[in-house]
Formats: sequence, structure tokens, C-alpha cells
Amino acid sequence: MALLVPELPKGPHYGILAEFATPADLYHACQRVRDAGFTRWDAHSPFPVHGLETAMGLRRSPLPWIVLGMGLTGAALGFVLQWWVHASAQPLVISGKPYFAWPAMIPVTFELGVLFAALGAVFGMLALNRLPMHNHPLFRSKVFERVTDDAFFISIESWDPRFDPSATGKLLESLGARSVELLESE
Amino acid sequence: MIPERDHVALRPEQATIPPGHAWNRIPVIAAVFALVGIAASAILGTANPKQFFFSWLVSFLFFLSLALGALFFVLIQYAAQGGWGIVLRRIGETTFAMLPVMAVLFLPLLLGLHDLYEWSHAEAVAEDPLLQWKAPYLNVPFFVIRAALFFTIWSFIAVLYYRGSRGQDATGDPGISARLRRFAGPAIIVLALTQTFASVDWIMSLTPHWYSTMFGVYFFAGSFVGFIALLSVVAAAMRRAGLLDTVISPEHLHDVGKLLFAFTVFWTYIAFSQFFLIWYANLPEETTWYRARMEGSWMTVSLFLMAGHFAAPFFYLMGRTVKRNGATLAVGGAWLLAMHYLDLYWQVMPTLHPEGLRVSVLDVAAFVAVGGCFVAAASWLMRRQALVPLRDPRLAESLAFENA
Amino acid sequence: MAQTEAELLDNPVAGHPTLILRSPDFHSITEAVAEPVERKTPLGWWLFFIPSVALLGLLGVAVSWLFWEGIGIWGLNVPVGWSWDITNFVFWIGIGHAGTLISAILFLFRQKWRTSINRAAEAMTIFAVMCALLFPGIHVGRVWVAYWMFPIPNQMGMWPNFRSPLLWDVFAVSVYGTVSVLFWYVGLIPDLAMMRDRAKTRVRKFVYGLFALGWRGSVRQWNHYESAYLILAALATPLVLSVHSIVSMDFAVSLLPGWHTTIFPPYFVAGAIFSGFAMVLTLMVICRKAFHLEHIITIRHFDYMAKITLVTGSMVGFAYATEFFTAWYSGNPYEFFTFLNRAGGPYAWAYWIMVSCNVLSPQVFWFKKARTSIPILFVMSIIINIGMWFERFVIITTSLHRDFLPSSWGHFTPTIWDVSTLLGSFGLFFTMFCLFVRFVPMVATSEVKTVLPQADPHGQSRPERERKAHGGEVTGGGELAPEGAS
Repeated sequence: MALLVPELPKGPHYGILAEFATPADLYHACQRVRDAGFTRWDAHSPFPVHGLETAMGLRRSPLPWIVLGMGLTGAALGFVLQWWVHASAQPLVISGKPYFAWPAMIPVTFELGVLFAALGAVFGMLALNRLPMHNHPLFRSKVFERVTDDAFFISIESWDPRFDPSATGKLLESLGARSVELLESE
Repeated sequence: MIPERDHVALRPEQATIPPGHAWNRIPVIAAVFALVGIAASAILGTANPKQFFFSWLVSFLFFLSLALGALFFVLIQYAAQGGWGIVLRRIGETTFAMLPVMAVLFLPLLLGLHDLYEWSHAEAVAEDPLLQWKAPYLNVPFFVIRAALFFTIWSFIAVLYYRGSRGQDATGDPGISARLRRFAGPAIIVLALTQTFASVDWIMSLTPHWYSTMFGVYFFAGSFVGFIALLSVVAAAMRRAGLLDTVISPEHLHDVGKLLFAFTVFWTYIAFSQFFLIWYANLPEETTWYRARMEGSWMTVSLFLMAGHFAAPFFYLMGRTVKRNGATLAVGGAWLLAMHYLDLYWQVMPTLHPEGLRVSVLDVAAFVAVGGCFVAAASWLMRRQALVPLRDPRLAESLAFENA
Repeated sequence: MAQTEAELLDNPVAGHPTLILRSPDFHSITEAVAEPVERKTPLGWWLFFIPSVALLGLLGVAVSWLFWEGIGIWGLNVPVGWSWDITNFVFWIGIGHAGTLISAILFLFRQKWRTSINRAAEAMTIFAVMCALLFPGIHVGRVWVAYWMFPIPNQMGMWPNFRSPLLWDVFAVSVYGTVSVLFWYVGLIPDLAMMRDRAKTRVRKFVYGLFALGWRGSVRQWNHYESAYLILAALATPLVLSVHSIVSMDFAVSLLPGWHTTIFPPYFVAGAIFSGFAMVLTLMVICRKAFHLEHIITIRHFDYMAKITLVTGSMVGFAYATEFFTAWYSGNPYEFFTFLNRAGGPYAWAYWIMVSCNVLSPQVFWFKKARTSIPILFVMSIIINIGMWFERFVIITTSLHRDFLPSSWGHFTPTIWDVSTLLGSFGLFFTMFCLFVRFVPMVATSEVKTVLPQADPHGQSRPERERKAHGGEVTGGGELAPEGAS
């Protein structure tokens, strides 16, 4: 259930949403917000901006490990299934080859490995991103509709220990925000 | 990012081997090795000529494949207008500039055609309808003419591209890049065809009854892996030696590592496809080649190739960190160079030693001889030139290159 | 327009070509791509959709009659047990491969120009795979036991034969279909969010919103997203190679001369990419005109696509030459006869159509004029696909109709139902594609935005711009990162 429902801060405000005009503005603002020590914050853009993860201080995604694990699982599953069918459960002499004809088992093993790895990549990514989450508080902001078009945002949640409704807003303005909005909780 | 990396074109002093640098001594050291190797090969070869020719063939093919792989790499960079690899292109150019040298190193093999190739024996052909059928192609005169043709074509392309690139160092003429780019497409096609027939002639006809349409592609795959492996080792070594350490960045190493990974997988795909289709259909006229390589200790070598040329490099080169570090990448590259040699050895030697793996001193001697000449000539060339194409119009882009 | 493009195509040596014309900003890209989906259905769309649905109906009739009467309604016989059915299967799978190449392989090679065409190409892949899967499904005869192909024991407790290439096909093509759909959908999520945020009607907002999964462009999400995208691209690449290799193994693992040859896997993959790119060219020529996207799908994109077509066509030509030489070199009389029969026997007309369409005519793409001429590109793309269909027909039918014993020799003539099924499959393909362009943004908008020069964050930021405007006064922004570092 944690995947589908956002965690909400407990105060009267959800947080502050600041809009920026260009990726460059966003990039530099993110560096300053990161340096200022905020932790419960995020940036938003219509497309992935190059280098923004470093500007925000984010770690690399652990997704490759999930994918590797899933891929090896899928390959192992495929191989064991074929071994079991052909060398254990229904041993049949097919085209004069031994029961455990491992070269002929490679295609299915490979395909199942790729399938599981891909499923791991997609569903792992959705899980890490906590998607689907259709009712995030940010959607209540009218300007936020442009996040998929051409606007760039920083949102700082009120859960953050350094959050202060007025000071944080002024900081974001000084970093070049085009507009700053305080979002109410429910 | 590396702060000392230049974002403007380089000064010549940054891209040449400085006088007094240790690498200036490589040509002489390599030449000494070459002489020792040649002497040892000659002496030991008179006692065992058959072994000599086979050992020489393997070493010759190894270094030739590196030069051909280099040529492919550079031609593809031109044709695809890739910018990232320009700082590494001179390494490739120096390698394929060795093609005329390989032509000379081919000559000893002409003395050994009777020891190497069954189809060159008139008595064998007279008794064998299959060899009679192939005689219009597999006969000594045509074989020699083809070899001469291959080396002429390869040397022509190599000299054209080497001179063009070196010339651009002096003149900075962007028209050179445009011209070389235009020829690259046709050159690749010619290279593909000549390389295929060369591999048929020099390797596949060792077992003249056997055939595989994939063989040319198989040779290409191995040679490309071999060159990228060489590139990784040389690039890392140069950085370690203080040459081009501000020019070749972890970004470039990362890309070389990615290519090495990708083409290792490609080689595996090609090698496995060839084996698999022959295994599956189980036709005796085709399976003989693989049966020979499952005989005695050759079976161990085959298994070792699977593990060493595919499985180990696959997992080793998967991660990001390994590819971005010169030392770890070079270890992978060196290992794959050894595996490439083993692959060629495994393709050639079972014809001479069907009972099993029989390592001979001549294998080492021939390798030192051919390798010594190759390294001596290449390093001598390196001393006399800039280590990167100084005035390539896109050099700045390559210097500033950054991976995602 | 022609002039601007001509200027762009000059200077082939320089580094970063302008990919998107008319220097649009982010919003105009959004508008250009979203607007055709949002407005009322244009007449032109119906002109493509109705005939497509008609052909789809023909497919329905042909397949229903096939299930009712059996495989005998086709021209298949002994020895030619496979012909148009498997030709069509390989044809459609091959077409699908270009989409994955554009999405995945060009992504790995950092070819930014792919962003204008990858969405449509991926959709093409999915629809091509649908058409392809149709044929193995319907050609089995007893369709009601088609589930015997699945990796489950059947009602006799028998498992399928995993060591048969026919079963590898089941796995390979279904994994390929699944991964293609996943890759396409993942790429679509940000654009569905874009459609959701622009939606004017409640229905549209609900549907687009549902499938957008609540995407909000969060950089933390982009972080995992980009990792997933790269991984999917890295997985799709060997997948594409393996799928068509496995399809080629349907033939190559046999003992048949002309089928059993080791070069088939890479040769088939090259051929698949060749025909797939031709289909992308056909579709893009029509779509960019219809949706006024000429500034996003530019002549430069066609230039690159034509070059890839030339490269893969050359690989196919190389394979033809190698096969022919080796057929002679092998000394195997059956093998050599097969090739002589292809060139001079009863199906020689098909063979020479194949050679002229696949080897000779693409040579025109050596010339830039041809690569950048829309009429030539359009005509050539169709010629190439005709040639590639004939290639599979030649491979399958000529190897089968001349068996080892002359007493087993036969001939294949297509029936009206063979033709109807093939035409009908085009109906399925184009119907799906029409629906796609009607309801889904056909350009990967978020990806195209990343290739615009304004997307580069190492431009000037607002405080710095203001500082410069105020003549050097520092306004409390403090130091900013130096240019060029990250």
C-alpha cells in the first residue's frame, strides 16, 4: 500500500513549490539547496536534465543489482526446467543427442534470463519510484501542470528539519525561482 | 571531471613521447627480442620444420588480426563520424600501419605451404575427388596471388589512411577528414571481403574438407576483440607512463571497456552459433572440425576458451568501475589478448597435433619473433609522430567527451 | 525549408549537427506532438484507417476459413510444407527489429537523432510482432491445441520439446514482444503524463492519467527511470540479436541444403534490420507530412536511416556472396545445386527480384542526393521490403521444392487464401499503427527536448544573467559552479 499512497507530512503545509525557467537555473538552484542541507526535497523537470542527480547529491540507482539478480534467476529457472524435462522427467532420445544436451538448452535459458531481467528492470523501477501514485499533493498546484511541458520545479517538503514556511520560500526566490507557492496539506 | 584536462586543441609537446622517456627504448628492446626469436625459430625450425610453420602461422595470424581489427575500428570511426574516439585513433593507425610489415612476416609461410596445407600435395589431390573439386581455388599459384592481392589492398588502405591522418597533423586541412570519410564505406566492404577470403585461405583450408559460411565473420569478431583489447592495454599503459594522461580520460577508457564487453559478447554469439548449428545437424562432413577439438586435451582447451573468452570477461567487464580504471581495464584487455591468441591456436594447431595440446618451444619462439618485429616497428613509428591526431577538426570534442 | 536543411547537411565533418529545425522551445515541441492527438480526427486519418480495417476484415475472413477448412486452403503440399506462412512470419519479425535497434542500439551508441523516431519505431515493432505471432499460431493446423506450445504439460502429461527451434521461437518471440511493449510503455510514461496535464476532457484526463501512473517528473524518479531505460536498452540489444538468430535457426539447424549454413544467424539479423529500417522510412515519410513534424523528423534523420539501410543491405549482400562461394567450395553437390537452382530454376524470377531489390537498388544510397530525396526514399523503402519478402520466400520455397530425391520434387503455387492472409496481415499492422498515431504522441517528446540546446544545464543561470545585466554587481547568489564542470 505504501506504493500507492504518498506519505504526507503532519503539519498544515505540504511544502513549498518553486518554479524555474530553464534547466540551468534549476541546476544551480539544486546545488544550493543540496549544499544548504535539505534532505526531504525534490526537483522536477519535463525531461531528465544532464547532471542533475549529482547536483542534488543523489546516489546511483540500485536497479542494476535487482536486474542482475532477476536475470540470473530467470536463466537458472529456464535451465533447470529444461534439464528436468529432458534429463529427468521425460528422457527421450531426440535426434541422437544425449538427454542433457546443454547447447540446445541455451536459447530458452537466455530468453528467460532476459525476460526476468526486463521484468526486474521495469517493476523494480516502478517500485523504487513508488509508482503508481496518482494522488500526489503536488498535483494540486496549477502551475505544476507545466512540469511535463516546459517548466522546472523544486519542491521542499515541510517534513524537512530545515523547513520554514517563510525562510525556505525566500531562499528559493533568491536562487532565481520564477514563482514560489506554499502548498497546504489536505 | 579532471581539472587538468585541456578543452582546447593540444600543443604538440603534450602529445608526443618526450625525449629521455622510457618508451623511447621500446623499439630497441623489441628489436632485440625479435632477433632472438628469429634466431631461435630458425635454429629450432630446421629440426622440426612442420612445427615451425604452424607456430609461425598462429603468431602471424594473431598480430595480423590486431592490425586488421585496428583498420576496421578506424574506418568505422570515419564512416560513422564518431567523435569520442579521436584521441585513440592514432593508436589504431599505428597498429594498422603494421600491415606492410605483416606482409613481410608472411613470407616464411610461403616456404611452408607443403607442411601446412594438405591440398598443396599433388598426390593427396589426385586421390581425393573433393580436393580435385576445390583445386581451381585451392592451388598454390592462385593462393599466392590472392595473398599478394590481400596484402596489396590492405597496405594501400592502411597507407592511405595513415598518411592522410599524419598529413592532417601538419596541414590541419579538414578536407582530408571529409575525403577519408567518403572512402571509408567502400574500404570497409573491400576489407570485409578480403579478410573473409584470407581467413578461408589461411585457416579454414588447413582442414580442406571442412567449410563454414560463418568463418569470415568469426575471424572478424576475434580480430576486433583483439584490437579493442590491445587498445585498452596501450591506452592504459600510456596513461600510466605519463603520456596522454591529460588527454585520455576515464570517459574514453569507459567507452573502450564498453566496446570490449560488447564485442566479447558478439564473439561468443558468433562462435557459439557456428558450433551450435554444426552440433545440432550432426552432419559428419561438418562435425569433424569440432570433433578434432574435443579430442584428448583439446577438450580442456575448448572448455577453457568458453570460460575464459566469454564467461570470465563477461562478468568482469559488466561493472562500471572496472571499465573506468586504467589498471583494471588493462587486466581485462590483457586477458582477452591472451584468449584471442588461444582462440587462434585452437583453430590452427589441432591440424598438426590431433592427439592433444602439445605446446612447443617454437610456439614461444615464433611469438617472440613476430611480436618483436611488430612491437619494434609500431613503437618506432610512435616515436616519430604525435600520439593523437593533433589537428583533426573534432579533436576538441573528443577531449571534452563525457559519458552519461 | 529545403534551404535550411541543405545548410544543415553541409559540413559533414563538424561535430554536433542541429537535429531539430526552426529552433523551437520546449513548449512548441509539446504543442507540435500533442496537438495532432488532441484535435478532431482529420479526414486524412480516415483515408488510411478505413482501408486498413477493410484489410483487417479480410484477414478475419481468411483466418476463419482457414480454421474451418484446414491448411489445405493454402498452396502447401509435400515437399513444400512451409511457404508464405513462414515467409510472412520471418518478414514481420524482421520488420520489428528496426524498432528495437532504433530504441536500444542507437541509444547505446549515443545517437541523439533517434529521439525523433524511436517512439513510432517501437510501436511499429510491437505491431509487427503481433502480425508475426499470428502466423505460427494459425499455421499449425489444429489451432485448438496450440497451447501445446506453452511450457506446461499437455493433457497427455507431455512437455513440449525445448530442444526444438520451433519452441525457441515461442519463447524468443513472446519475450521479444513482452520486452518491446515494456520498453515502449516505459518510454511513454512521461509523455502520457504530458497528455494528462494538457487534457481538456475528463475521459482523456482519466485514461491518460491512469496509464501515466502518477508520473510527476521528479528527478529522484528520473534517476531510477534512466537506469531502467539504459538497462532495458542493454537487454533489448542482445535480445534482438537472439530473436532473429533463433528464427534463422528454424532453418539452419536442419539438414536441408540452402537452409543449413552457419552464417544464418547474423545474416538474418542484418536482413531484419535492413527491412525494418525500410518500413520505418515508409512510415516516417507519411507521418511527418501528415502531422507537420518535418522540423522534428528532418532530412538529416532520413540521411542517417538511409545510411544504416545501406550498411545492413551490404551485410546481406556479403552474406549472399559468402553463401554462394561456400556452396561451390563445399563440394557438396546438393548444396551447389540448390544455389544454381535458385538462380536458374523455376523460381529464378523470385531470386532475381530479391537480388535486384536487396543488393543492386540500395546502392543508390551511396549518393547523398538519393539519401535526402523524399520520393527516392519512399520508393526505395518499398522496393527493399518487397525484396526482403522475396528473400525469405526464396530461402524457404526453393530449398523445399527440390528435395534430395528427384521423385520427391514438387512445386508451390500460392492460392487466393495465401494472398489474402498476407494482405490481411498488412491490414492488422496498419490498423494498429493508425490507432497508435491517433491516440498516442508519436514522437518521444521528453527525449526530443533533451537534444535541444536549451536543455543543457551548463548555460547561464538567472542570477548570473542578472549579474551581467546589472553590470557586475553580485546580488547575493554567491559563487556558482564554474562553466564546464559538473
